[in-house]
Amino acid sequence: MKTPRTPAKNRWRAWACLVFTGVLICANNLPAQAPAPTDYQVKAAYLANFGRFVEWPPRSGPSQDQSFNVCVLGDDPFGPALDAALAGETINRAPLVPRRITKPREATNCRIVFITLSEDSHLKTMLPPLENAGVLTVSDIPQFARRGGMIELVLAGNKVRFEINVAATARAGLTLSSELLKLAVVVRKTL
Amino acid sequence: MGQWLRSAASPRLRNKLPRAAAIAAFFIPFLIWPVGAQQPDPGLQDRLKGLSLDQLGNIEVTTTTKEPVTVTRTPAAVYVITQDDIRRSGATSIPEALRLAPGVEVARIDSVKWAIGIRGFQSRLSRDVLVLIDGRSVYSPLFHGVYWEVQDTLLEDIERIEVIRGPGGTIWGANAVDGVINIITKSSKNTHGALVSAGGGSVDQGFLDFRYGGGNDKDFDYRFYAKGFDRSPEYHYDDRNFDDFRRAQGGFRTDWNVTKRDSLTIQGDLYDGVDGESAKITVVSPPSAYVLDQNGALSGGNLLAHWKRDLGGGSDLQIETYYDRVNRRQPNQAEYRNTFDVDVIHHWAFSDRQNIIWGFGARLSLGELPEVVPTYVFNPNSRVDQLYSLFAQDEIQLVPGRLALTAGSKILHSSYTGFDAEPSVRLLWTPSTHQSFWTAVTRAVRTPSDIEDTLTTTTPVSTNPPTFSQTTGDRIFTSETMLGYEAGFRQLVNPRLSFDLATFYNQYDHLLSLEPGTPFMEDGAIIDPFVNRNGIRGTTKGFELLANWKPSTSWRIEGSYAWLDMDLMNKPGSLDATTVSSTEGASPRHDISLKSFIDLSSKFEFNQIVRYVSALPAEQVTAYVTADARVAWHPDRRFEFAVTGQNLLQPHHAEYGGDPGPLVGIKRSVYAAITWRK
Repeated sequence: MKTPRTPAKNRWRAWACLVFTGVLICANNLPAQAPAPTDYQVKAAYLANFGRFVEWPPRSGPSQDQSFNVCVLGDDPFGPALDAALAGETINRAPLVPRRITKPREATNCRIVFITLSEDSHLKTMLPPLENAGVLTVSDIPQFARRGGMIELVLAGNKVRFEINVAATARAGLTLSSELLKLAVVVRKTL
Repeated sequence: MGQWLRSAASPRLRNKLPRAAAIAAFFIPFLIWPVGAQQPDPGLQDRLKGLSLDQLGNIEVTTTTKEPVTVTRTPAAVYVITQDDIRRSGATSIPEALRLAPGVEVARIDSVKWAIGIRGFQSRLSRDVLVLIDGRSVYSPLFHGVYWEVQDTLLEDIERIEVIRGPGGTIWGANAVDGVINIITKSSKNTHGALVSAGGGSVDQGFLDFRYGGGNDKDFDYRFYAKGFDRSPEYHYDDRNFDDFRRAQGGFRTDWNVTKRDSLTIQGDLYDGVDGESAKITVVSPPSAYVLDQNGALSGGNLLAHWKRDLGGGSDLQIETYYDRVNRRQPNQAEYRNTFDVDVIHHWAFSDRQNIIWGFGARLSLGELPEVVPTYVFNPNSRVDQLYSLFAQDEIQLVPGRLALTAGSKILHSSYTGFDAEPSVRLLWTPSTHQSFWTAVTRAVRTPSDIEDTLTTTTPVSTNPPTFSQTTGDRIFTSETMLGYEAGFRQLVNPRLSFDLATFYNQYDHLLSLEPGTPFMEDGAIIDPFVNRNGIRGTTKGFELLANWKPSTSWRIEGSYAWLDMDLMNKPGSLDATTVSSTEGASPRHDISLKSFIDLSSKFEFNQIVRYVSALPAEQVTAYVTADARVAWHPDRRFEFAVTGQNLLQPHHAEYGGDPGPLVGIKRSVYAAITWRK
């Protein structure tokens, strides 16, 4: 195991490498110095958190399953980021488990479904059954909250924020904590 | 050490060393890629874990560009050039940015002019490509091509450039035969604050960009910008150095959410420039031609309004209208043009399985083409082009999420050719989320332009006896047609590696030919007459293969290879002896590019592009390999310092035949830029 390098040392090494070789082959050998996380790393962190601020009705949602499933529906943009974000996390002692699914009907065992960009064209058909199943739908598809989804992750400049469609969560029988509503940039009450 | 090198190396070797070093410097990063490539930092995700929702909302993120998922479901050969790509490439103009897209042939003729084509037919006139900036068509009805040197905006304000290779006629309108280039600028909501960027170097001698944007944080946003640049001539072995270029441009954009459902965008630009040109001027007596190096005056402007009403449930209605003005005074020709256009598009989410888009448009273009030299004359010298179009397209989910059929047609009426239909059928099959196959059959049409219809040009052939060749537009030329067959395949191997293959086989008919007539005497000179006819047909076939690999979150490598085979021939009765070979030999058969975009740290980035373009025999251009590189350092959010080297692998190289005259070498160049934003 290598001894960890301090950022200052790394920076010095990067410059030294540059100056002496004149070429940026140094790229490979240097770890990034505290890089900004990617948007999907932050979105994964949101998915790990939302469950704490939502109350599911007793009958709806997964009944037999002991785990708290966070599902990704569509082409997975997270990679290992979601697994890392959920690892070791629990909600009411149920471990958070990432699942990748390809069809909406596989979502009945999910508490939260993140619908990826690839599903944009099928949104209209997939949202009503998910709503009926009492699943919290989250997505970064443009206009998701306006199109009947529940939580839309939006990029505001370089920051990831979210909008909430309260009408949709109400139809699904979900109760959102006031803290969540307070932090949402937009709360839609109709549609 | 330098001393030792100098004494030990022979003079010949010494000359070669910088070049060898430059080449080596370029390829080393590509060769050693997998060594210690960065993996996503698991510690980073752990750090995010402890954060509250509130804190998460305040973390600055780097957005992952080019999510492969967004293109896998398009039944066409589409490539999207993002703002991030443009910045990293170091491009200082839109044509340079287009080099980033595979299958787009971009050649710099000289410091001012470009020859651009998609899937063949590359030329200064790039006739068969439709180019839109925020929905405004910028091709000139004069020759149905694009004057690339005046198509510009603040490159920082471009959100993305969508490049569609292949016929896009159904939705996009006339003359989208070989492709569509759709330049989309950012909403003014996303350009708040001030930006100043200044720099200069060996060829791009000086440039200054300025933008300021703001809004009321509610429903209204605006920005305005100004830019100017001064470019030096490229390399001329005869030292004619005519092609210096200066231009200033300014513009604005406002975005207003009038109601919850209605948004209105108004934008406009004005530009004025002086470009150095070289023109061949024919003299009737004695029959001769001389080359005149003189400045051209290029100015113009546009004003555009775009209204969009959200009809709910995924449906919307959009109306766009614009006015565009072009003034060109060149050494041997002039053009003053007013264009008015209105388009209506209704996007109708008809049912869960059907998405309908239909619309109609009208364009009126009034061109004044006064005579500058008597051997380049339009008759009549003013013309009104009217173009009416109506289109409808239905996207049907045959098996939802798996199989989709898109069918539609455009019906076009131009004032010179009557009605033309441009139908299209496309099928998309997505067996899994990681794979897609698509295929399409499309008919596209290019309508005649002023150049083919009304231009008479005279060129001397010999002095004794005095002989001229004279090409006359007599309005018998009709629309060129194309029937395109396409198929493509995309594979997402994993989130870090994807492939995209697009193939095509296009049948062209009624292509422009120059048909010789019977020589006659006029004022004691022999005239060899030529007329514009539709005497050429043929096929093009080829493919573009694109591979995109992200070895780590901070490194992206993209490679592309485009292969093209053009096979044109004279139709029975056509006596045109030159067009087939001059067209076939003006587009590269092989076009290879390799890009590497690396974030060395959150503050430091290094980007390289290497490209190979095969020979253009008709233009006397030999194959070349060259490369660009850019190093940028952004110590904080406000500042960026960047040094960009272009065409680094040789002192100069030619990319396209001189217009007119000998080849112009495109120089190796370096520029530095500093950008400040607040």
